[in-house]
Amino acid sequence: MARHEFLRVLAESKAKAENENTYLGQLWAILTPVLNSIVYVLIFGILLKTRAGMDSVIGFIVVGTFTYGYFSTTVTNASKSITSNIRLVQSLNFPRILMPMATALKDLIVLLPGLIVMILIAQVSIATGPGWSAVHPERWILLIPAIAFLTLFSSGLGFLLAKFASRMPDLVKLLPFILRVGMYASGVLFAIQHQVGESLIRQVMEHQPVAVYLNLARQAVLSEKSIPLDAGLWLEGAVWAVVVFTIGFVAFWRDEARYGRD
Amino acid sequence: MAETSNPSSNLELEDEASSGTYAPPKAGTLGTPSVIVEDLHVKYHVVGARMKQPTSKQDGALAKFLRKGRSLTGGHTTIHAVKGVSFTARHGESIGIIGTNGSGKSTLLKAIAGLLSPTEGKIFVSGIPSLLGVSAVLMGDLTGERNIMIGGLALGLSKKEVSERFDEIAEFAGIGDAIYLPMKTYSAGMGARLRFAISTAATPDVLMIDEALATGDAGFQARSRERIDEIRETAGTVFVVAHSQATIRAMCNRVIWLEQGQIRMDGDPEEVTAAYDEYSKTQGKARQKRKS
Repeated sequence: MARHEFLRVLAESKAKAENENTYLGQLWAILTPVLNSIVYVLIFGILLKTRAGMDSVIGFIVVGTFTYGYFSTTVTNASKSITSNIRLVQSLNFPRILMPMATALKDLIVLLPGLIVMILIAQVSIATGPGWSAVHPERWILLIPAIAFLTLFSSGLGFLLAKFASRMPDLVKLLPFILRVGMYASGVLFAIQHQVGESLIRQVMEHQPVAVYLNLARQAVLSEKSIPLDAGLWLEGAVWAVVVFTIGFVAFWRDEARYGRD
Repeated sequence: MAETSNPSSNLELEDEASSGTYAPPKAGTLGTPSVIVEDLHVKYHVVGARMKQPTSKQDGALAKFLRKGRSLTGGHTTIHAVKGVSFTARHGESIGIIGTNGSGKSTLLKAIAGLLSPTEGKIFVSGIPSLLGVSAVLMGDLTGERNIMIGGLALGLSKKEVSERFDEIAEFAGIGDAIYLPMKTYSAGMGARLRFAISTAATPDVLMIDEALATGDAGFQARSRERIDEIRETAGTVFVVAHSQATIRAMCNRVIWLEQGQIRMDGDPEEVTAAYDEYSKTQGKARQKRKS
């Protein structure tokens, strides 16, 4: 069976279906991220003024929310991919791993227009803060490996959760709470190093994988004095990605025969 | 071309042809086994459902409250859908499966197709089953066109092959422009015809069909009969799940009657459908009696 073709068609079809039954149709692919950023900008950038450790508040927060949002959506959708498509899974014979892979790929496709919006807002935020000289377009290309690593990491986590969720569907109900804790523990809305004192906890928080990926995305798109280009963190990001993806993939694969057949 | 394994099975075919109720395809002959099912049991778990417990009017309010609470949480039931089924299907056979609702027909076919694991027992299939026929669900949010691609790919065709056959599939299903609308807007018949069209695009070794095919117009009925005959000529095996005697007699040369997960009868379409008719009538009468 042409697995990569099947994967691509499934992912593209689902991505298209997200915005299909509306009048504006695919325009929502851009509108949704823009509207989301307006909310964050209003609340965090304008209503609550400056924050310690951030040169461009809006940019910092917008990059954080978009990146964490992508992580959170990918993991949630991948973990539900078998159970929410159970009728398809029980009707067609295909390697089950393609289901969470297709949802992860679809979430990546949906992210892309949002990324463009994110970069633009970040640059405007820099320009109105530190100034145009602080804009570094040559760094934007780093966003590609950053998102690639995050995708691998989120998929791996998603596979792992999908495997357990099919035995214990209640897990899916717990996930939103875990992800909410993750959001506050990953420096989405504030800079960890300025809110948490020097301690083991801070070290753990800064080096847990999601915080690392947020940092990498910010390295690529912003120019914050507290977030310099750091090769060590890139290595960390790569390692987390490969390790978690492999663990998740193998764990899911070993149970292949079982999904949808219980 | 498949060979007959012994001269007596050839004889059976000729008898049926002369009786005039069924006309076998010209080139197809009964051949080697294509599907062997040995003492199959299929159970599945349903999480979150609990069978209704018998109540007692004498319980106090607390007991009733606790029982109600219990019925709402932590449920988990096992359904024994197939209870020890064994049979052998041969290349070139067209087997009808009948039985009252909930008798395990779809479960049996899903197990043969590899979509459900046997809890006990064994299944052997020669070749690759084509699975879209029996209460299959494609992606409702997506258009018929997209589903043709997805279904075709899942059945082993390449993207190019599916594109090449697209027009043929669309025409065969006979749903017109609806092919560009989401499948969730289709009627049951349209969905069934499209699924059948997709599942026969790649000439399958084992084909499973459900009765919704009877909803097509005369043209569609004729086309599907032709397609089924083609499949049997290339030594495929066909399973038809149906309630209508007419469909069964028109399409099948063997009928298996499944009742509550077990085989009641297996053999000549006339005999088995007659016995099933009897049974349904007595069931109907018993139900009338209970009501009055």
